[in-house]
Amino acid sequence: MSDLERELEQELHRVLDPIAATPIPARRQAQARGATRALLGGAGAALTLKLLTGVAVAAAAVTVAGAATTGSLNPSDWGQKVTQQVADCKKKLADGQHGIGDCVSSFATQHGPAVASAARQHGDGNGNANANGNANGHAKDKSKDHPAATPRSGSTASPTLEPEPVDQAGTHPPVTITPHP
Amino acid sequence: MAQERYEPGSEADFERLYRNTYHRILGTLIALLRDRDTAEDCAQETFERAYRNWRTWRPDAPVEAWLQRIAINVAISDRRHQRLRQAGEMIRRLGRPAPGPDASTLAERSDLIQAIKKLPTKQAAALVLRHYHGYTNREIASALGVPEQTVASRLAAARKQLQAVLGR
Repeated sequence: MSDLERELEQELHRVLDPIAATPIPARRQAQARGATRALLGGAGAALTLKLLTGVAVAAAAVTVAGAATTGSLNPSDWGQKVTQQVADCKKKLADGQHGIGDCVSSFATQHGPAVASAARQHGDGNGNANANGNANGHAKDKSKDHPAATPRSGSTASPTLEPEPVDQAGTHPPVTITPHP
Repeated sequence: MAQERYEPGSEADFERLYRNTYHRILGTLIALLRDRDTAEDCAQETFERAYRNWRTWRPDAPVEAWLQRIAINVAISDRRHQRLRQAGEMIRRLGRPAPGPDASTLAERSDLIQAIKKLPTKQAAALVLRHYHGYTNREIASALGVPEQTVASRLAAARKQLQAVLGR
């Protein structure tokens, strides 16, 4: 036996042996658990704590991502910024783009992949206009503006340019369309 | 270890078991936990858990080893929730003067005992069972439900850490 082990035994007996002289309390019944233990102890409390922490972290991530994208802490500003961006992107459609998905996506990803991920979550309500606008919006516009248009023969059909929108207010100069080769 | 015979499920036998083993269980918990009050609370918790399973205890297993295993599990749970409980205690004692140390607490103020309390619970438990209760490694392995080699590893790690902490 090493010195440490010997000292360990002596010390444990010195400290713990006097306990044998103390009176034995009455056995506690199962119902008499301490209020603090019942409130704060147990696996349920640990699980609740983890759940609350997760919700708080997720909320903080969405807030930070929204603020980083729009430069504002006010969530109502986020919707306005995205709506504005969608409008801007639609104006650029005349440049020969198909849909506004890429345009809006570049806005969402300008602060990096982390922001883009959160922006997609945050834009679930107003962002659907961005993401779905690429496919659905284009098809809808077609059906509205060209009700008698014949369906395309296939997916390999060459894209056609949309007619230039009429500037009713007359505030913008006419856009010159340069056909792509 | 206790040599008395007990009948599983017998109320009278469980009360006798409580009287015969309370001090030894409390000794283990005092060595593992931060203070005497917590150890007494956990000793009661140990016997509550044991009582709930008393009908299913098998007499072929040493009854004190079974209780020590429950006590160590209670101590592990208690250490895990120690920070939460400390916050609760702080709120409960707000505005009251801090209680002075009693004689038993002063007796437990030993560098070695304090170093044991800072070890991982399973290592500290192996030390206490080996060097205070006098269990063999095989008996500790049986009590804790782990291989004998694991007990030896825990004891070696605990001694090494104690030496480092105490500077020996």
